[in-house]
Amino acid sequence: MKVHVYEKAFLSIGGGMLLVFLGALAFATLGAGIHLPDRAGSIDPQAVRTTPPFDDPGVREIAPGKYEVVMVAQAWSFDPAEVRIPAGSEVTFRITSPDVIHGIHVEHTTINVMVVPGQISEMRYTFREPREHLIICHEYCGIGHHYMYGKVIVE
Amino acid sequence: MPTTETTRSTSRSVGAVLWDWLTTVDHKKIGILYGATALVFFVLGGVEAMLIRWQLSRPEAAFIDPDLYNQLFTMHGVTMVFLVGMPIAVAFFNYLIPLQIGARDVAFPRLNAFSYWVFLFGGIFMYTSVFAGIAPDGGWFGYANLSLREYSPGPNMDFYALGLQILGIGSIAGGVNFITTIINLRAPGMKFMRMPLFTWMAFVTSFIIITALPVLAVALFMLTFDRFWDTHFFNVMAGGDPVLWQHLFWLFGHPEVYILILPAFGIASEVIPTFSRKPLFGYAIMVFSGVLIGFISWGVWGHHMFTTGMGPIADAFFTISTMIIAIPTGVKVFNWLATMWGGAIRFTTAMLFAVAMVALFTIGGISGMMHAASPADLQQHDTYFVVAHFHYVLIGGLLMGVFAGFYYWYPKVSGRFMSEKLGKWHFWTFFIGFNAVFFPMHWVGLFGMPRRIYTYAEELNLGALNLFMSAMSLFMVVGTMFFIWNLVRSWRKGEPAVANPWGGSTLEWSTTSPPPDFNFAELPVVRSRNPLWDNPEDYDERVHTEPAGGVHMPNPSFWPLITAFGSAITLILFMTHIWWMPLVGLAITAVATINWAFEPAG
Repeated sequence: MKVHVYEKAFLSIGGGMLLVFLGALAFATLGAGIHLPDRAGSIDPQAVRTTPPFDDPGVREIAPGKYEVVMVAQAWSFDPAEVRIPAGSEVTFRITSPDVIHGIHVEHTTINVMVVPGQISEMRYTFREPREHLIICHEYCGIGHHYMYGKVIVE
Repeated sequence: MPTTETTRSTSRSVGAVLWDWLTTVDHKKIGILYGATALVFFVLGGVEAMLIRWQLSRPEAAFIDPDLYNQLFTMHGVTMVFLVGMPIAVAFFNYLIPLQIGARDVAFPRLNAFSYWVFLFGGIFMYTSVFAGIAPDGGWFGYANLSLREYSPGPNMDFYALGLQILGIGSIAGGVNFITTIINLRAPGMKFMRMPLFTWMAFVTSFIIITALPVLAVALFMLTFDRFWDTHFFNVMAGGDPVLWQHLFWLFGHPEVYILILPAFGIASEVIPTFSRKPLFGYAIMVFSGVLIGFISWGVWGHHMFTTGMGPIADAFFTISTMIIAIPTGVKVFNWLATMWGGAIRFTTAMLFAVAMVALFTIGGISGMMHAASPADLQQHDTYFVVAHFHYVLIGGLLMGVFAGFYYWYPKVSGRFMSEKLGKWHFWTFFIGFNAVFFPMHWVGLFGMPRRIYTYAEELNLGALNLFMSAMSLFMVVGTMFFIWNLVRSWRKGEPAVANPWGGSTLEWSTTSPPPDFNFAELPVVRSRNPLWDNPEDYDERVHTEPAGGVHMPNPSFWPLITAFGSAITLILFMTHIWWMPLVGLAITAVATINWAFEPAG
């Protein structure tokens, strides 16, 4: 098979760019500390409201400057719907659903994770600037999908 | 009788014409039926899109109610993928594959008719739900567990599970048919590496169809069982796993993306060389990159699920595989450019659409790479950024390619040109409208607008952009009207076309326009990759009138229609939830199948 010199050039450039992208990706994940969503545990979806920590959703300070947000996403609201944290704090979201699949997307951040019933989703993010972020359900969850939002207030 | 008539008689009665079309097994007529039906669904899907844009034109609007809105966006997706994208590609496959490889029909003409009728009845089945106000409302990828009976109690998602199942049957039958045709019916001398690139892409697409659609079939069976008989495949309350649906759906869904785009690649690879007066640059690489895309398309589905929580290892794997698939795709883009480089380019409407396809698909491909990087995808997942991306691929890629194909092959199908003047109007209104609607959608998405949302808050400050996009979508409507008017008007009033009006190089241009029922009076012999350019003397003197002894052609048959009809009836009766009702439909199918089997094929 005859491979034209232009094609060889393109293939090398394409392959080279791929390596650069992958390098950037490795840097983003390892160096810049972007946390990819991972399954942080399982839970009986029918017993969410009686299983700690989801029996008491809310914001907790777990160490100085570190907060944990325990949240339940259900049709069609977030509990708690409003999260207040001081600027500069590292926040870990632990979230699950007692009914259908939802999503949580915190506007202007990298927090965007699917909330699967039976699964605890975990995301970590450091809020640096004081401002308000909208929390939006990004996974279509039925007729009230567009009502499902909340707020992160960074003070 | 094995012989067929060769002239289009104008004196036949309406009944005779209708009977002819209902029983036809001619791949050209079936191709036209596929194309016409897909265009009807295209208009319906377009109306749905316009209603969506109307609702989204203002923040906190309530022009239509949320229930209807959910049905509209679901049906818009289902329609455009399953009732427009695939069938319109299959219309081109049907019409062109036998002509391009120098055959008289496909390998299984009656199965081909069956595929079409299944598609038609499947589409009608799905649309009865729309007109009854109970259309599927769970999004076109119908994520479990929302799609289970517990959360979607109405018949809506039953239409989804059953309708897609039957449409899949038609597609799989079509895929088998095209593969067999291409392997077995090539004219003497038509080696694999001499096949036109369109046929090659159809070949690859058919393989993806027969391997990917069964995955969807299995997932839909599981969903149907969950909904009708309380199995627990996706029911998390009983120990099932809703994420399983996502894996199965996207294991089908990503190859599906290539089922939709490879035909457009094939069309561009025919149109661009013809209007550049140069053979396709890097034919072998074009073929192998298509094959490679077909293979790799199986290893990238996880990039739809980066936010599902698969973990860093799986995310890294799917990031890498998705980036790798960009290399064969990028080679194609560069080879189209290299084909045009230094060519004697003629900017006919067909060429304009083909060039637009290359440019717009590239934009869609680049935003695709942005999703491939899993950390970046976290900001884009399920926002309008994704909507912008796949509309660039499917409208900018598939639809622009299909439009190019319509303008390019219309003279072959009808014997007349489409109007170039109307064509230019069509191109510019549609091109400007498309970019004005979908380019701002990237920003709207990055600013935080989620997809599938009935309305959005005023504080998001997205009202102005959304209003702009909704207004500009009218340009696409106008463009489509130019196109349809052009198609209809040119059928009788277009300029007459000769056998090879554009100076193309492939075999379909060696026979008359429109081709006789038997395509070629005498099967062509092929000696090179661009036979009409390299050896014009082989084809110039041919006449395509019926030879004295007649040509042995398959008989028309009514049974494929009845078989498909029985299948659709089965589904409708299935919805009654009375266990013996579907047997009535199955009986019709069984009788028709037996008659089909014992009927002389000609």
